[in-house]
Amino acid sequence: MTLRLNASSGTPLYLQLVERLKHSIATGAIRAGEQLPSVRKMAEDLVINPNTVVRAYRDLESDGIVELRHGSGVFVRESVSARADLMKKAEPVIRSAVDRLEALDLDEDDIRRLMENELALRRTARQTRKRRA
Amino acid sequence: MRERHGADEASAEPLVSVASLSRTFGSKKALDDVTLAVSRGCVFGLVGENGAGKSTLIKHLLGLWRAERGEVRVFGLDPVLEPTTVLGRIGYLSEQPDLPGWMRVDELLRYTRAFYPRWDTAYATQLLEQFGLDLDARVKTLSKGQRARLGLIAAEAHRPDLLILDEPSSGLDPIVRRDILEAIIRTITDEGRTVIFSSHLLDEVERVSDHVAMLHQGTLKLCAPLDDIKAQHRRIVLRFTVPHADPPNVPGAIRVEGAGREWTVICDGSRIHVPAMAQSLGASIVDDCAASLDEIFVAHAAVN
Repeated sequence: MTLRLNASSGTPLYLQLVERLKHSIATGAIRAGEQLPSVRKMAEDLVINPNTVVRAYRDLESDGIVELRHGSGVFVRESVSARADLMKKAEPVIRSAVDRLEALDLDEDDIRRLMENELALRRTARQTRKRRA
Repeated sequence: MRERHGADEASAEPLVSVASLSRTFGSKKALDDVTLAVSRGCVFGLVGENGAGKSTLIKHLLGLWRAERGEVRVFGLDPVLEPTTVLGRIGYLSEQPDLPGWMRVDELLRYTRAFYPRWDTAYATQLLEQFGLDLDARVKTLSKGQRARLGLIAAEAHRPDLLILDEPSSGLDPIVRRDILEAIIRTITDEGRTVIFSSHLLDEVERVSDHVAMLHQGTLKLCAPLDDIKAQHRRIVLRFTVPHADPPNVPGAIRVEGAGREWTVICDGSRIHVPAMAQSLGASIVDDCAASLDEIFVAHAAVN
């Protein structure tokens, strides 16, 4: 597992660690039921204070993403696999959309811009509807 | 999960306590009424510019200097009166480790070992291999990085209760700096041991510290758990409709910096309601995020 943390970004390191782990779990790099490294190992690997790791694990626990089993360690909950499955299901949808856009000779930046525009349009539409309601 | 700061440890005596410590060199106040405590099992980061008083403070902890005014206690003892007991439990590495150049690496380690009954030969050997140090090399022929690593072994291999590192990373490459940070983490994951770490490299301090003290011109500007310092300081970028020649007056700000229409405010976000503050100034918020330790440090150093 490679998790790079940036101590000069301003974002507290424990939050960065929480985000990185959530991402790894969402993408299936860490699977449901899998055990996370011990506090000590994680602290030594990332060269960060062990209390930072403790705090990140507690955050993940209160978000219902991991469970702390006393004496045996920290495990990713089975229930989070539902979301990972959903992400897996979405992959072919996005792949075929990108295939078709590339067939139109659009490059990476074009596709990213189109995607962001579409999301922004929908966001504005949602907000307008909410304001009218 | 293991709690490193249990209730009984928190209520126990601090490992190091400094009360109203002052020291002058000629007309210069090197330390001015400094009071702080270091609790057991934590990494205590000491930050400040060159000449801020970090090394002067550390030399008092080592008993090299007697307190002119105030009191210093390490393990509950006066390090000037009981140097053998205190120093026997401390591992110390300075910016320029004072190692005899004519000795060979193995001679130096045998010599150091003689001072410490708790010297762990297996651990020293493991570190020697990890660092790729040649036992037969003369100390004076070692590179700056290898000399720092040797100093680290000498400081660490007797598994001291307190490891003091005074600007250990100065002028070293990132790989050696990482070795030093790893030594800090190893030390505190070993139950109950404590580290005091002075540095002007604030991202390193942010990485490993539980508690941070900031010295500026001999006075203690900040001394608090790193989490609290991070939670309290926000960096807010404001944009004004018209340019300002002088910094806008932001009530409660620690520092306001910028030019024209865009100004950056470092402030205690727990005390200021940011949207209300921006509205009252007639500015819009461009960015609002946690400040880095570097920005916090610069903001406090600028306040006199």
